[in-house]
Amino acid sequence: MSECNVDDAASNEAWVPFKDRPEWRDLKPIPQDDGPDPVVQIAYSEQFREVYDYFRAIIAADEKSERALSLTKEAAELNPANYSVWNYRRNILQELNKDLKEELKYISQVIEDNPKNYQVWHHRRVIVEWLEDVTDELKFTEKILKEDAKNYHAWQHRQWCIQQFSLWDQELDYVDRLLKEDLRNNSAWNQRHFIIKNTTGYTDEIIKKELKYSQDFIRKAPNNESAWNYMKGVLQERKLFDFPGVLEFCHELYSKQIRSPFLIACMIDCYEEMLELGKPKKEETLQKATQLCNELAEEHDTLRREYWQYIARSLASKYGADVSGDS
Amino acid sequence: MATKNHTHRDYDSKSSKYDDYINFSTSMSRDELLKKKHITFLKRVLQVLPSQQLDTHRVSVAYFAISGLDVLDAMKEIDDQRNNLIHWIYSLQVQPDPSGKNLSQCGFRGCSMLGHLYDSHKAKGQLIPYDSSNIAMTYTSLVSLLILGDDLSQVHKKSVIAGIRSLQQSDGSFVSVLEGSESDMRFVYCACCVCYILDDWTGMDVEKTVAYITQSLSYEGAFGQKPFNEAHGGSTFCAVASLVLLDRLNSALTENQLSRLKRWLLRRQESGFTGRPNKPADTCYSFWVGATLQMLGVLVLSDVTLNRSFVLSTQSPVTGGFSKYPDHVPDPLHSYLGLCGLSLIGEPGLSPIFPALNLSQRAYDHLSNLQRQWREKH
Ligand SMILES: [Zn+2]
Repeated sequence: MSECNVDDAASNEAWVPFKDRPEWRDLKPIPQDDGPDPVVQIAYSEQFREVYDYFRAIIAADEKSERALSLTKEAAELNPANYSVWNYRRNILQELNKDLKEELKYISQVIEDNPKNYQVWHHRRVIVEWLEDVTDELKFTEKILKEDAKNYHAWQHRQWCIQQFSLWDQELDYVDRLLKEDLRNNSAWNQRHFIIKNTTGYTDEIIKKELKYSQDFIRKAPNNESAWNYMKGVLQERKLFDFPGVLEFCHELYSKQIRSPFLIACMIDCYEEMLELGKPKKEETLQKATQLCNELAEEHDTLRREYWQYIARSLASKYGADVSGDS
Repeated sequence: MATKNHTHRDYDSKSSKYDDYINFSTSMSRDELLKKKHITFLKRVLQVLPSQQLDTHRVSVAYFAISGLDVLDAMKEIDDQRNNLIHWIYSLQVQPDPSGKNLSQCGFRGCSMLGHLYDSHKAKGQLIPYDSSNIAMTYTSLVSLLILGDDLSQVHKKSVIAGIRSLQQSDGSFVSVLEGSESDMRFVYCACCVCYILDDWTGMDVEKTVAYITQSLSYEGAFGQKPFNEAHGGSTFCAVASLVLLDRLNSALTENQLSRLKRWLLRRQESGFTGRPNKPADTCYSFWVGATLQMLGVLVLSDVTLNRSFVLSTQSPVTGGFSKYPDHVPDPLHSYLGLCGLSLIGEPGLSPIFPALNLSQRAYDHLSNLQRQWREKH
């Protein structure tokens, strides 16, 4: 849903009413029929009403012409979320065999003005598909992401371009740059995972490299959930113990008095995995895990107190010697 | 926009995490639900909408208002408009052509923008190019009708299902309109809702749908809009609710995946809930994330007091309604989802909701009754 309430344009001073446009005289506008007692009415401006009355007439006649093309532009400006307008515009572009490079320029401007609108990004994607040319796409999305580094639409478009046109080569450098600017940019971490998963994959060697990469970032900001999630994600198809060092890394931070809830949670997960795998010193391990759950509940993650108590209970009931003691 | 300016002082200094909360807890008058104001706000939405950009999605905005009034237990406030609203929603239904050639276009539109006539008998004869339904509008039309107490007897059920089926893509996802659109988890969810409501799953290839959902589970443990997209509170709601409606939640996800998902969701709580790590809390996620936690049976593990305070801090004491952040302009979507978020945590005076379909329990019970009648007939 569009978050933008900026409607038409007091700025649009040059707007000419249709009665003053001789080229439209032959067409009879079609009013909207909302019935005798309309609900959730839009407070349409005169301009909006007129443009759309003519748009309806164009659609009814299925007219694909230069004037129809320019009308879609007016209609889209008044409501860039109108997918029917964009769809019809694309039909005209095809029918008239228009220069799609020009269209790409135009939609760039529209997206810059409406960066969180689904319809305009979809329009761009179709045009790129038709052009089979992604020359500008990485640069363009980069520009949008400069304004809002977490813009979901821009990332989706970027991922689609990369997948569709195999633009994998430079992307890790870009991600690296973004993470150096803001190590909490979760979208950039996600992009890192996307790239590696689809290129080299998480081989043993890559996992080692990525563990180090994320751990370096974690050392800089131990409370950064994004880096922790990435580190755990790297290992999601393995056991935390296939790659010795995770628990040691945690111990290292813990011994430096770091008490990030993500750190402690990771330690609990390591212990849980040891219990799952039936490693020796079961009771001791369970006790350590339970104690860390208590630390989180009482001190370091009190907002999630109930959750950590629940985790402690479920560990005890799964791995405790005396299950009946848990109530 | 507040998202952009949201700075993250390294919150190793722990208190900054709660700054939002401290700020709003000082503003008095916001510690209780301004029920009357919200009723006024939503009734106004039903009259007239603030933005021309909502044009093609009008019925979904009407749904926010109608369902919001239901959650406020205030349906009697619009008793006199009930028939008119029902009639208007039905006027948005694409009428199936007797020849059956427009079946793939059937369902509901969001408004009368393309020029169809209000009178459905007259509209039947109209042939407007590109005049197809929109999956999100079909979903919100159906739930609105249910909330208004309609029995769906005028819904062309088979045609609507055919319309849904025509929107599924080869990867299992759905587009919103036949003419083409982005395809993602939102529309998967809408498709599941429509099939569930009409009690007819021939509207999709269920296995493909489930595969699409599980493939969109990200390394973070929650769902993105598509495979490899960033995990997000909104798409996670859509994915989990779809699995619930499909009755596949526990078979599609492993125990391990479910516990990671629960943790990711609970970690979204800062004061209210965020949609992604390292983003600020926003009212709507008290529903998106809260409802998902509810469906997974662990909403009780969240901090209700902080959640409630945050949502209440986004009320507008002047106009009524809720905004995404404190002291922003309220809008219909955040007003509705704010109320739902509060209902989930048992706010007194609000009706309980059925989260998977995003309507009141009362309206859900009405649907269950209808479905029983339909089944008996067959
Ligand atoms: Zn929101």
